[in-house]
Amino acid sequence: MDLLEGRFELKEIQTLEGHTDRVWSLAWNPATGSAGIPPMFASCSGDKTVRIWQHSGLQSWDCKAVLEETHTRTVRSCVWSPSGKLLATASFDATTAIWEQIGGDFECVSTLEGHENEVKSVSWSASGSLLATCGRDKSVWVWEVQPGNEFDCVSVLQGHTQDVKMVQWHPSIDMLFSCSYDNTIKVWAEDGDGDDWQCVQTLGESNNGHTSTVWALSFSPSGDKMVTCSDDLTLKIWGTDAQRMHSGDGYAPWTHICTLSGYHDRTIFSVHWSREGIIASGAADDAIRFFVEDKESSIAVMDAVMVTIVMVSEVDGPSYKLLLKKEKAHDMDVNSVQWSSLENKRLLASASDDGTIKIWELVSVP
Amino acid sequence: MVSGLINPNSVVYEKKERRIRSAPADADEYAVELIDQQEIFDILFLNIYSFFINLEQLVLIHHIRDIKDPEHPYSLEELKVITEDVIEVDDKQSYVCVTFTPTVEHCNMATIIGLCLRVKIMRSLPSRYKVDIKVAPGTHATEAVVNKQLNDKERVAAALENPNPLDMVDECLAPSYN
Amino acid sequence: MSEKFSPALRIGDLNDYIAPSQACVVSLKGLKKNNTSTNLDKPEVVISAKPLQTEPVKISLKDCLACSGCITSAETVMLEKQSLDEFLANINKGKAVFVSLSPQSRASFAVHFGLSPLQAFLKLTTFFKSLGVKAVYDTSCSRDLVLAECCYEFISRYNASQSANDNGCKSSLPMISAACPGWICYAEKTLGSFVLPYISPVKSPQQTIGATIKHYISQKMHLKPEEIYHVTVMPCYDKKLEAARDDFTFSVQPQGEPFGNADVRITEVDSVLTSGEVLELMQLKSVDLSSLEDSPLDRLLTNISDEGHLYGVYGGSGGYADTVFRYAAKTLFGREIKGPLDYTIVRNTDFQEVSLEVNGKVVLKFALCYGFRNLQNIVRKIKSGKCDYNFLEVMACPSGCLNGGGQIKPKPGQTAKDLIQSLETAYLENVLIANPFDNPIMKQIYEEWLGRPGSEKAKKYLHTEYHPVVKSITAELHNW
Repeated sequence: MDLLEGRFELKEIQTLEGHTDRVWSLAWNPATGSAGIPPMFASCSGDKTVRIWQHSGLQSWDCKAVLEETHTRTVRSCVWSPSGKLLATASFDATTAIWEQIGGDFECVSTLEGHENEVKSVSWSASGSLLATCGRDKSVWVWEVQPGNEFDCVSVLQGHTQDVKMVQWHPSIDMLFSCSYDNTIKVWAEDGDGDDWQCVQTLGESNNGHTSTVWALSFSPSGDKMVTCSDDLTLKIWGTDAQRMHSGDGYAPWTHICTLSGYHDRTIFSVHWSREGIIASGAADDAIRFFVEDKESSIAVMDAVMVTIVMVSEVDGPSYKLLLKKEKAHDMDVNSVQWSSLENKRLLASASDDGTIKIWELVSVP
Repeated sequence: MVSGLINPNSVVYEKKERRIRSAPADADEYAVELIDQQEIFDILFLNIYSFFINLEQLVLIHHIRDIKDPEHPYSLEELKVITEDVIEVDDKQSYVCVTFTPTVEHCNMATIIGLCLRVKIMRSLPSRYKVDIKVAPGTHATEAVVNKQLNDKERVAAALENPNPLDMVDECLAPSYN
Repeated sequence: MSEKFSPALRIGDLNDYIAPSQACVVSLKGLKKNNTSTNLDKPEVVISAKPLQTEPVKISLKDCLACSGCITSAETVMLEKQSLDEFLANINKGKAVFVSLSPQSRASFAVHFGLSPLQAFLKLTTFFKSLGVKAVYDTSCSRDLVLAECCYEFISRYNASQSANDNGCKSSLPMISAACPGWICYAEKTLGSFVLPYISPVKSPQQTIGATIKHYISQKMHLKPEEIYHVTVMPCYDKKLEAARDDFTFSVQPQGEPFGNADVRITEVDSVLTSGEVLELMQLKSVDLSSLEDSPLDRLLTNISDEGHLYGVYGGSGGYADTVFRYAAKTLFGREIKGPLDYTIVRNTDFQEVSLEVNGKVVLKFALCYGFRNLQNIVRKIKSGKCDYNFLEVMACPSGCLNGGGQIKPKPGQTAKDLIQSLETAYLENVLIANPFDNPIMKQIYEEWLGRPGSEKAKKYLHTEYHPVVKSITAELHNW
């Protein structure tokens, strides 16, 4: 259906309590939610624990496991390997832990040390053979997964001048993206002789980039677009030449497509692009917002909400419109919004400073 | 950073203009819930004396800054951190902005003072509040960077898990018995 | 500026914005009130300290190193102490100025000016002497002392690991080379006590030549150590930090004052200039090195044969693994290895290993491990007890010391990879490969001064200690 035609409502399915401090991040297990396996996700918190939540089949979500006594400080981010077998957790305690579900239990099978202090984000490459971490020490590390849960460091990248907030692999090619307190997004790729990694592009203010901390990024389903969110209260959409990128014929640079400003009132901490093409954002103004590409008009005038969509690159380029704004989605800052990969439902989970996780369904209103 | 939220109608009080707290007689039950500038003043500054005595002692005990006459201890007069302070409160919007003035232009304690202010407010106000802490414009050599750091909640969270900054903040905020 | 440091140092650089003069505060705790015999040779505090009737106290480089907060501050402090200006000033003060040139810097000049290493050396000698330098020496020479000490140390560690039960010798192997100051700094600041016992206590060639000049050559030349100003020319910025370490100073009592209240503190190496800085000095003086005359070399501490050939060992980073491997193979297993060792690449060209098999069994396994990422992996292996190497030559820079941050930059159009290849070729061009134990200068130094490798005296002058650095509160308070 055309998303622009319908009217939508964000229905709260359940509020999950259990964490005793702010919930920083959550991640859906990609291997669950189909073929009869109930959907599952992990959440991590300032209470130093990771919780595993699973759908019980009775319309309710239960905490299946609490992973504790491994990290000694805040667990800032968590992410499942593409196979869903391993969970990586990044902590302020300077380590990244790798967990494996063995039988019914989750066991910490490896600990990656090396960062000088807080690790803030971790990401698996599409194939699951590489892992990236980043943190307060301004560095981005690339690790290679070896047999027996061994991880070899293949590169330590020091291009950012500040705190690196998030790392994210491209969904189909081995290209790494990082965003930072230094207001930039950097793209990293293996160098010509495959010996080391290097920065191939920096998207900064001079590229119509952000003017304050870039907190997160997410790719469109096809991987030819990327959305970034920032402390400068904007979302930015970036695009690349998908054909060139996949052909391997030189580097296909990313360019700014548009900026979504005027929507958010405080820092935007999280952004996630659904398979269907809906961008969800979570911000420090306690709200969750949804945006979709507006294929019809390039100059958008929204109803009710004061909106400016800045068209920069091309007149006929895509623009994005606000689909829905959920005020007071949480009592405090929304730190993370993540779409599930379920086929038949638009299911979203959000994590907040208020210590809760909420499960939402985006439903169309007749 | 979040200028969009600042309520242009909110009343701005300077510290010198402190009024006597109104008698509870004219307060209906709703008003009791309200948090106003004065309450923030109270939270932050009623024990400001002990707050800065603590800070001062810590500064002296642990660190001596590059000031001209080190024999002369910090006095409250010299610690003009708050004299020019402006507090902006909008209870309806659950918003507080505290602007402070570091002691000297290059005060390297600015981030710690700011951190203390933030923690004090965080611990005292309902969690619904959004708090901005800022260095008064033009008062600090690295104003923008200090502001950015003070308002990055991830950095603040990390600092408060780190024993040394946390101890420093706790000591600053502890009641003084001098 | 901080890009010049090795990656290992930069990773610990947490100082985002505060300029050194404002940011650096040194704790007064433990500072002695110097009422009686004043010993203020190493100022501890930036600030103030009014009660002391002495010159204003300043942050020293040692404070920066101890602080673990940042490198940024260290740079500024260092640049004051170890700069071209200081170098020239000390010549003008009439000090006996000695320059010790590293073979990696020599190669850098050779490549830059299209000379052979020997020509570069001869002309650099002319250049330095034209400035008033008393003598120019060669750190390949002190490196042979280092290598001899390392060989002896390895054998004793190896024997300890073989004879003792498994628990008794946990920290004897792998032995890790200690010539890279970036690695040492990183190990002390970040890795702490678990890795330090593995690191060889033998000083680097830079500090060894420093000790040799100030303790031994000074006597030979009838100079007081305090009359000598000793400068090294290095491929590496981190070497400046090494020279500033407290461990590399000693005090002498001024003559005629048995109870003198001021011991004179002597530093083994007063200043380190990088290859790039020396080039800068040449440009400042409008000197074209290639057009300079040759000067005879100062043979006292220079690896030059009677026939006029430079000599040294294999390996652009000092040949630690190479030399110790050959020595161990011969001493322990009676195998003499001729020609270059047969290294195999482990993950990348910066991580190579070589092993010796006896009766189908691997008895020696050594590795070269360069660059921060490889260093990380090896550290993880050591920590988890999975490291099966007997010896590790660790260098913080990718491609090792020839690629140090202080080397002359590539010329326009030249890639970094091209340059490193030229340097690797030039490094041993017309340089004879010679066993350190055959070095006549080294033999003489042991004979006249140190006794034999591994002796108490050798340990006193050529060995050092490492100290885990505890993060300072100050650093954490300002860098949260």
